[in-house]
Amino acid sequence: MIQAAKPDPEADALFEIVRARYGDRLTPAQLDELRKIVAGQLEAARALRAVALANADEPMQPFAPYRNEP
Amino acid sequence: MKADVVFKPLRELGPLLESRKLSPVELTEHFLERLERFGPRYNAVVTVMREHALLQARRAEGDIATGRYRGPLHGIPYGAKDLLATAGAPTTWGAAPYRTQRFDFDATVVRRLEEAGAVLVAKLSMIELAGGMGYRQPTASFTGPCINPWDANAWTGGSSSGSGAAVSSGLVPFAIGSETWGSILSPAGYCGLAGLRPTYGRVSRYGAMALCWSLDKLGPLAQTADDCGLVLDAIAGPDPMDPTASPRPYRYETLDRKSFRFGRIRGVTDGCEEAVVENFTRSLGVLGKFATIEEVALPDLPYEQITRTILQVEASSAFEDLIGSGGIAGLTAPEDRYTPYARDAILAKDYLKAVRLRAVMAREIDRVLERYDALVAPGRINEAPVLGQEFRSAIGATAKDAMGAIGNGAGLPAVCVPNGFGVRGLPTSIQFMGRAWEENTVLAAARAYQSLTDWHTRHPRLARAGEAC
Repeated sequence: MIQAAKPDPEADALFEIVRARYGDRLTPAQLDELRKIVAGQLEAARALRAVALANADEPMQPFAPYRNEP
Repeated sequence: MKADVVFKPLRELGPLLESRKLSPVELTEHFLERLERFGPRYNAVVTVMREHALLQARRAEGDIATGRYRGPLHGIPYGAKDLLATAGAPTTWGAAPYRTQRFDFDATVVRRLEEAGAVLVAKLSMIELAGGMGYRQPTASFTGPCINPWDANAWTGGSSSGSGAAVSSGLVPFAIGSETWGSILSPAGYCGLAGLRPTYGRVSRYGAMALCWSLDKLGPLAQTADDCGLVLDAIAGPDPMDPTASPRPYRYETLDRKSFRFGRIRGVTDGCEEAVVENFTRSLGVLGKFATIEEVALPDLPYEQITRTILQVEASSAFEDLIGSGGIAGLTAPEDRYTPYARDAILAKDYLKAVRLRAVMAREIDRVLERYDALVAPGRINEAPVLGQEFRSAIGATAKDAMGAIGNGAGLPAVCVPNGFGVRGLPTSIQFMGRAWEENTVLAAARAYQSLTDWHTRHPRLARAGEAC
């Protein structure tokens, strides 16, 4: 007997963003696949969220204030 | 023109040109002929730059004849992945929507190679938009799937596909590729070449298609690790046009070291094909002649998820217009025409968590790497995938690739070189990944390995010089 997938309201809500924005361009088969991809992305996000960081853990990105000077 | 120039390393071609035993014009003509004759066989070439190349070759010939020899790349033909802007030729990014795109300037890498006297003979094919739209099979370029010179039924890997095919089949002595995650090491590994992914920021990205601003790197594919060092020497360095280009100077050093210390990540061969594991184990035996090798355990972090999330979001933003307008419908791979839409559902907070975790990952891996000259691992988990089939990939979350996720996420240099063949007769490879800015160390390690092996001297039968010319 095939078990139904566990309900995941967050995955459903995220998928609805995709459907709302692009649904008119997509076939049912493509929408089905996008639902799976969104679920995979959420799984990755949950793995990221599971790691605790300290307040001081900053992104490693160079940003410098800009001023155009000759 | 003697056929034996075809697979000659740059290290050997240079002195022939400097001593005028070899003419840059004749050499260029020879490779142009090979590109025109064999390029279509492998779907390796987008544009042959015949007139431009002969102009540069004549200039090189004149300079060398009058004693103005510029160094080891002077008079040497090369190919550039078609994401590098070049005035005078289309720059297609491998994608049908951009097939007529032109720029009126040269990418910094192209300009630096010109200053070194190298001769640009071709723009080489690539996976559309460097694979950033989520392709899952080789037919993802408007020029067709790139065919592996070792086996007409196998793919070259990507996204620097034409760079891999062209060097492997002897259509150019070296090529420039780009890597966001795997796009140099994959075609180099699958095609039996040396491929160098430099440290992020070592080479200016100015004039290169942006896929992911914080992940994109440019580097060479060549016959040997030593050749990769010669090319890096010419293209590395600061560039006011690219604020991420490091001010750190770089000079390729060829001092041979007698001993190394390598680490091997625990479980690094999990999921690899049997032949890949066997060849890697045999390679460790070779490395054991001049190095210690220790198993290392990495901290438990979601490495693939970190780099994948950054890649997906940055690529989605870089091509916001194409995706939002529905222009991706004009791409070649069916999956590239709609799967990017899913990335709108990645939350900003999750993306920023990935970017914060990247900093943790970078610190943790540096803590590991400071005890070693390099981490060693198989270059790829398998032999080259079969054409017409979906392949496994860490970017698509269908394979593990901690080395690639860490190396690209943390911006670390790595070089891969061939280390044998698999059951289908296709090359396998070994990679050496080092601390940031340690290209000379990983290149020295790869050179030491190549000095004791001869895998890099073997070439595809179809393109063997004696038959093909």
